Amino acid sequence: MDLLQLGSYKFTSRLILGTGKFSNTKVMLQAIQASGTQLVTVALRRFNREQLADDLFTPLKELPTITLMPNTSGASTATEAIRAAHIARELSGSPFIKVEIHPNPQHLMPDPIETYEACRILAKEGFLVMPYIAADPVLAKRLEDAGCASVMPLGSAIGSGQGLATAEMLNIIIKESGIPVIVDAGLRSPSEAASAMEMGCEAVLVNSAVAAAGNPPEMAAAFAGAVIAGRKAFKAGLMHKSGSAVATSPLTAFLGANV
Amino acid sequence: MNAVPEWLTSDRDSAILATMLASSSSSTLETLAAEAKAITLRRFGRTISLYAPLYLSNYCSSGCAYCGFASDRKNIRRRLETEEIERELQAMKKLGIGDILLLTGERTKRADFDYLRKSVEIAAKHMQRVSVEAFPMSVSEYRSLAECGCTGITIYQETYNRQRYEALHRWGPKKDFLERLETPARALEGGIKTVGIGVLLGLSEPVEDILMLYRHARHLGRTYWRAGISVSFPRMRPQTGSYEPPFPVDNYLLARMIFAFRIALPDVELVLSTRESAAYRDGMVGLGITRMSIASRTTVGGYDDANNDEKGQFDVFDNRTVEEFCTALRKKNIEPVFKNWEPVFNGPSYRQGSEMKQEKLHSCH
Repeated sequence: MDLLQLGSYKFTSRLILGTGKFSNTKVMLQAIQASGTQLVTVALRRFNREQLADDLFTPLKELPTITLMPNTSGASTATEAIRAAHIARELSGSPFIKVEIHPNPQHLMPDPIETYEACRILAKEGFLVMPYIAADPVLAKRLEDAGCASVMPLGSAIGSGQGLATAEMLNIIIKESGIPVIVDAGLRSPSEAASAMEMGCEAVLVNSAVAAAGNPPEMAAAFAGAVIAGRKAFKAGLMHKSGSAVATSPLTAFLGANV
Repeated sequence: MNAVPEWLTSDRDSAILATMLASSSSSTLETLAAEAKAITLRRFGRTISLYAPLYLSNYCSSGCAYCGFASDRKNIRRRLETEEIERELQAMKKLGIGDILLLTGERTKRADFDYLRKSVEIAAKHMQRVSVEAFPMSVSEYRSLAECGCTGITIYQETYNRQRYEALHRWGPKKDFLERLETPARALEGGIKTVGIGVLLGLSEPVEDILMLYRHARHLGRTYWRAGISVSFPRMRPQTGSYEPPFPVDNYLLARMIFAFRIALPDVELVLSTRESAAYRDGMVGLGITRMSIASRTTVGGYDDANNDEKGQFDVFDNRTVEEFCTALRKKNIEPVFKNWEPVFNGPSYRQGSEMKQEKLHSCH
């Protein structure tokens, strides 16, 4: 069976869903169901213990087939992210933590220095650490050495829908990585998710692409199909893509000559 | 007289905005709206963050010609004492509010820094997120507020036209144009995470003002790369001092400004308060605005004693209840978000070096 393994956890679905940006909880839950996902991420800052109408956590924890992966979105430093991880683990009971550290609350670009520091410490503490990072091959290896359960490089800027703008770097990360590579952020269409899976990503995470779609549950189902197709294609082995035309006078003709 | 800084007048960044705002612009309002809507949906999703203001005090030392709390107005002056603040916060929490903006007038003995800091400390115990709109402070005062749980400072320049500014601010500490202009930078220097800037539309030539507001946002963003910046679009309404705005901004121009800002600054929080009508606010949902005030009272306090009939700083135009407002949002398929912050992220931000070494600085004193 082809399973996604993160720490000791195994999943049949390779589609991870984000839970922000939906128009209401009902649509979010419908999208989760339609996607067949088994792992969803939710921001600690959207846990609302005091006002349940606004709370994302309570409806999610009721779903029997879902593992929760809280995230630290809102943290701007390693210290804040570590504190958030502790609270999130206490509230959710999940060993997963998606480390998101944005020095600037607007660009949502991950801070590599703070992220590395937080991941190093959280991995030592036994968390299954899933860092959201820029598509930087060296940083990815550093995080693997630090004990992360996966790396989650961005396909393009979060919420931009620009697809796999970082494909070249992703290819290097995938080739070199000893832990699952999960593309997180920037995807807009199911075909991009399929491309990421064909490249060898172990899973993809989408949020805006589903939440901002005309019909979020239908789009979630479309992504689910694309991820399965992309994975199958990767496993089946894509035909080699020739990088250059074959010359009419063969370049290697001399090999047959008596040399 | 010191010259205004070069960033305020340089059009290095603002050409894109100027083009969209020009009366000869080839972009129709409808095309700008469509673009702004698409960006907002992609970046912020189908949500609006909500907050509510709490006026702590209406004491003031400045003579702003347009303000209902100016020091020559005959209002009854008062401030909330500790127990009253607690009661107001409880009343606000009952409404579901967890994100709060604390306001005072310009610095006075009755509502000084110590009073403000204490109020922040109380509010941070009860609320998820606390911001302040008060008076300009020093870097160390801002740091102290950040340590007590204040994450945002709102400070409007009101107008970036220096001549108009100096004429409108007749006396008091607010009269100093450059001092005001440098205040958001001091707040960020002190570790405040987000600054809110804006012009009070109606005081001066609006397109000129809004271009300078944009330059200010870009200048702050470049200088303080960790800073969150939010931009508000308060528009003058009739108020206690019955000041008639000399440069009224109509619905169309205001909409064009909001759309242009969303397109030029796709990530920035754009705020629209209850100064605007219910219909205007509902129309703007999803078209660029990402943060709105709800159930606002512009009198001192006013949540615990909602029948209070004293005059506020300005008249609230959208006076729907929290429930009515949320129902309207949901009808538009937009989720009202009451909590989008976690107090664990409170504390000053730092501009350099590893944060791990500076853990100790978080205590409130």
